[in-house]
Amino acid sequence: MINRVPTCRDEFNHTFEIDYIMIKELNDIPDKSPFKVPDNYFEEVNRKIISVTSGFDQEVKVVSTYNRFRTYLLIAASVAGFILISFAAIKLLTPDKSNPQVSEVLYDVNPDSYLNDIDISSLEEKASTLVLSEEVPAVNKKDIIDYLLLENIELNDIYEHL
Amino acid sequence: MNSIRPDDNISELLKTDLNKGFRLLVETYSPKLYWHIRRLVILHEDADDALQNTFINVWRSIGNFRNESSLYTWLYTIATNEALALINKRKRNVAVSIDDLENYFANSQEGSTWFDGDAAQLKLQNAILQLPDKQRIVFNLKYYDEMTYKEMSKVLKTSEGALKASYHHAVKKIEKIIIKD
Repeated sequence: MINRVPTCRDEFNHTFEIDYIMIKELNDIPDKSPFKVPDNYFEEVNRKIISVTSGFDQEVKVVSTYNRFRTYLLIAASVAGFILISFAAIKLLTPDKSNPQVSEVLYDVNPDSYLNDIDISSLEEKASTLVLSEEVPAVNKKDIIDYLLLENIELNDIYEHL
Repeated sequence: MNSIRPDDNISELLKTDLNKGFRLLVETYSPKLYWHIRRLVILHEDADDALQNTFINVWRSIGNFRNESSLYTWLYTIATNEALALINKRKRNVAVSIDDLENYFANSQEGSTWFDGDAAQLKLQNAILQLPDKQRIVFNLKYYDEMTYKEMSKVLKTSEGALKASYHHAVKKIEKIIIKD
């Protein structure tokens, strides 16, 4: 009753042979279905199926106008969106000459304001010494490696650059 | 069992005369699909419902059926899905699970009217019912329908290797259950 099955592998990739499986108990069971159906069942059910399905329409794949032009609509919408964003970006980022910004107005209107008293060059000097200072707070090398590893940077790359 | 498959004739007839082709398809496949479904859902009434739903779905989507896939495996896929949908519905609505036939029959309106197996067959059916649904389908398709693993892989969308392993484990489990009882 059990068919001969060629050599195969299970989910753990172990090869096994199930040729000639002889299950004594299974072979003792008569080879017939234990289920039964009412007399003339198949003739009747076939008739019923044919009669029922004649009342059903078949599925016809209808491609709507929207679906037909969907790709073009998406492209057009993307282009329009891009133009709109570009225009807005240009408008926002380009200084408007006819409408001077507040700081310029302040500087121009109040030429004697406290800003003029500050020695800009000394401030720049101080800033550059801060930025270029060698006094970087001490960070453990291991912490750096851990951080980079958390950022999914390859261990080899980390050691190459450290 | 599977050597005589008039799928080509049916496919040809479906192209030239849909109604005649469908009639031939129903007459050819209704017993096979019925028994496949019946072994999964157990009760005749359930199998009858699932079989009719199967053919309604077949009729509705026959226009979309692509001839490059086999009609036989396509029909078994639809029938299997119908049977599984019914089993899941029963699991939700009925407190009694299908793992013991006598108990299941006792709790159904139909009872065991359409079961005439002897003690050994009852034992085998109870053992099969203890398998997980998908493994049960694999066992039935191989053991009763003598379906090849290639065809089965198309029906169940599973690799042949996994199906062979699944069948092997199913046989071992059934053997163990029968010996234990």
